[in-house]
Amino acid sequence: MLKQHSITRPVVAVSAAVLLALAAGCSKPADQNSASAASAATMQTTTPSQGTAASKLGDLSAFHSIATDVAAIVDKGDLPAAKARIKDLEIAWDSAEAGLKPRAADDWHVLDKAIDKSLAALRAGTPSQADSKAAMAALLKTFDTLEGK
Amino acid sequence: MNKLPTSSSTGWLNKVPEVALSFWIIKIMSTTVGETGADFLAVNAGWGQGVTSSVMATLLAVALFTQLRTRRYTPWIYWLTVVLVSVVGTQITDLLTDGLGVSLYASTSVFAAVLAAIFFIWYRIERTLSIHDIVTRRRELFYWAAILCTFALGTAAGDLATEALGLGFTWGALAFGALIGVTYAAWRMGGNAVLTFWIGYILTRPFGAALGDLLTQAKTYGGLGMGAMWTSALFLSVIVILVAVAQIGMNGKRSAQVAA
Repeated sequence: MLKQHSITRPVVAVSAAVLLALAAGCSKPADQNSASAASAATMQTTTPSQGTAASKLGDLSAFHSIATDVAAIVDKGDLPAAKARIKDLEIAWDSAEAGLKPRAADDWHVLDKAIDKSLAALRAGTPSQADSKAAMAALLKTFDTLEGK
Repeated sequence: MNKLPTSSSTGWLNKVPEVALSFWIIKIMSTTVGETGADFLAVNAGWGQGVTSSVMATLLAVALFTQLRTRRYTPWIYWLTVVLVSVVGTQITDLLTDGLGVSLYASTSVFAAVLAAIFFIWYRIERTLSIHDIVTRRRELFYWAAILCTFALGTAAGDLATEALGLGFTWGALAFGALIGVTYAAWRMGGNAVLTFWIGYILTRPFGAALGDLLTQAKTYGGLGMGAMWTSALFLSVIVILVAVAQIGMNGKRSAQVAA
């Protein structure tokens, strides 16, 4: 119709084709060869697990281990370091939201709230050792509950 | 009989783009980019939701003000406004859902009702909902109110599908993509142009979100593992290219008109 569309259409068609090709070529429910998981545990579940330690949300060990880390740092009394370390959990958790939430939205919300409470405790104006420790204990307990321990 | 304002009577040209394939591509991608951008600021940059939302709302006010002041469709301003409307619309829904605990069933229903009300009032006052004749300030305000509402509604509906149906991003992209296809087919077969346009527009919000997730999410979760940064960079590049092409084309047309 107008001059700009004669350039636009091929550009658009190519972009769309590239994206669709990427999506089609790589869409598998779970990639067994993935090396992207941060944790050593590579087990993935796309269906609710049976008789394993994984939760309905799947393998939470990567998040769990960061939380354990943070709790240990809190126990040592180094709240600033704990605040720095828990940001790793926040970023990892946030970036996995779209992958995890559909598996078990209610469980996701429970864990998300627990993480939020820990974040709030450690990011308070004057963080308290007692509150931080309590929040982290609650968070670890939530992990255990979800993982069926 | 009431003569409806058209560009010849008001001296304005249509303030919004023609609806071609590039329109939909930019629209879908700008949804994703807006979201990942706001998320980056809130989480990675550590601004927090409150500060990020305030900043985005302010930027939207500035962009919208600028957009409203233009006399014709100006691609870079229009699309910048769309990106910011997308972010703020999403944040409104997130505030209701996460901040105030409003159920997604409630927010989806309410936003659908509000959108219907906007169209009702728009039609009562303007006698036309055509997006090919957004040539008055008042019509354009209706237009942007509707756009904002579609983003809030699209966010709520998409989140509802995720939570109530456990709809992951792969199936989500397929399902919403298919619904968009059906809407397009309905239009081609003679369906109401206004209705199909807005339904398609609403659907592109959850579709764009699912598509973005499909690219960003780790392979462990069935995504392509591109990560937010690379996906945003890719989408932003495509947007910039398409908007630049549109803007350059627009500038070329304008100088041709001036020279003539």
